[in-house]
Amino acid sequence: MLRKNEQNKTTKGQVEVPEEYVLRDELTWLPGEDNVLIRLLKESMNKVEVAYIATYPPTECGIATFTRDVVTSVAKYTPFSSHMVVAVKREQEIEPYERIVHYQIPRDDLPSYAAAAKFLNQSSVDVVSLQHEFGIFGGPDGAYVLDLVEKLEKPVAVTLHTVLHDPSPGQRDVMMKLAELVDMFVVMVRTGRRILMDNYGIDPRKITIIQHGVPNVHRVSSMSVKRALGMADRQILSTFGLINRGKGIEFAIEALPGIIEKHPNVVYLVLGETHPGVRSFEGETYRNSLLETIDRLNLHDYVRFNNRFLSIDELVRYLCATDVYITPYLNRDQIVSGTLAYALGCGKAIVSTPYLYAEEVLSDGRGALVDFRSPDAIANAVNALLGNPAEKEAMESLAYKYGRRTAWFNIGVDYLDLFHRLLMRRKRRAQVEAAPTEQVGTSS
Amino acid sequence: MEMDLRILVKENGGVPVIELGGELDAYTCSRLRDTMIEVIENGNPTVIVSMLKVEYIDSSGLGTLVGGLKRASESNGRIAVVCTSPQIRKVFEITGLVRVFPLYESEQEATNDLKTKVA
Repeated sequence: MLRKNEQNKTTKGQVEVPEEYVLRDELTWLPGEDNVLIRLLKESMNKVEVAYIATYPPTECGIATFTRDVVTSVAKYTPFSSHMVVAVKREQEIEPYERIVHYQIPRDDLPSYAAAAKFLNQSSVDVVSLQHEFGIFGGPDGAYVLDLVEKLEKPVAVTLHTVLHDPSPGQRDVMMKLAELVDMFVVMVRTGRRILMDNYGIDPRKITIIQHGVPNVHRVSSMSVKRALGMADRQILSTFGLINRGKGIEFAIEALPGIIEKHPNVVYLVLGETHPGVRSFEGETYRNSLLETIDRLNLHDYVRFNNRFLSIDELVRYLCATDVYITPYLNRDQIVSGTLAYALGCGKAIVSTPYLYAEEVLSDGRGALVDFRSPDAIANAVNALLGNPAEKEAMESLAYKYGRRTAWFNIGVDYLDLFHRLLMRRKRRAQVEAAPTEQVGTSS
Repeated sequence: MEMDLRILVKENGGVPVIELGGELDAYTCSRLRDTMIEVIENGNPTVIVSMLKVEYIDSSGLGTLVGGLKRASESNGRIAVVCTSPQIRKVFEITGLVRVFPLYESEQEATNDLKTKVA
């Protein structure tokens, strides 16, 4: 049974989010109308115009959200530079994009890729930042993106959201051609760089590491947020993101009986809608299978779903209320997880399967790694944390300290630094290439 | 709340120093703004902001310094920043604000330079 105070906040297993825990992320560059000051800043501050090629909100996917976060965080440090987005969209989508989207590429329309390159070459853009994941671009293994990059005359940095350990021949071919064409690959963990070097033979000088950004969250006691959620007397476990079979949520649900035995006030929040791509081919089959598992194990009072795409503010509020965050993901090769990065940024105790990203970022006591597909292992790890507040607090502090370096305001500086370096390198190369011509001209 | 902003107002060779520790970001920058206003309005338009103990700064923190500079310059004052952290210096350098706020390695170096320029 729901407790009385929860009934005000929940309907049919869904949770409403109170408004009082909002992120603070303000910008006050130019106070008032001080022309002298503005002129000084304008003359002094560095300028670099960046075009971002990726999916972009309102498209609902992790890369779209990521791109908006990079765009926003870089723009905050470059108030006198214009940035733009070239949005890749599925052909049937009619997106009411924000004004920053200057150009759209229908994903499956090959000529649009070359046209986008022409558009960017003719623009005042200095550097191009491209977000790569095989599924977001058209063609076999997303090969249409090569048509764009090949024709671009601006420096290009490619952020890799997937680095496959064992790519298909087609995927390898796309990666190798990209490596030839672009100025820099960005990966988010050291493991990504190692795979690129070992499995693809890519020059390490062409790879840089910039971690996944996280919202700027100062730690608050989870109790204060739980109170606002009407769940003050529950111990909260959570998993969030676009729901799909790779999340392995069924294993966390199956772990619940073993957790409830020792912690009967526990509740597991599954936050997020089914991935739109998944929904388009199998509907809510996966989510329904989770509901069947809940029925079978009689866990109705212990699992809540929030079946929609959550705003960053909402996610942060839920994370702040969470006691143990769980990523029971199934794909060993997963090289990045935005949701895990966010949980670290909020300073959460984390239980995760050892996919590559988790293995790296949760090392040194920042999280508990458990076997894949093992409800027992999840239950044991969660029980160990809930039963030992000091250990949980120690893990949270380590996670927060690590996550703090990856706050978007720091990652924005890292990207800006990269863009400047690429721009300077391109300028120097142009100077070097111009130099022999001048010498020849002088000597003759 | 962890990583809050610590503020200590002191003097070095007659120049007011606002010593900061922790994080200067959207959550905390209003406290620096209030302190700068107070110091400047008390007749000290030239101020040293010591960031030797600051771990992180975001764009809101930079904006607060710019706001302080606006007030200081209205009374012909200046804002000097002391910091050694590579991460903080990178923020000033990558934005170009190093050309607006002179960076010093120590409070003494900042004090000496400010006095030379006043003299």
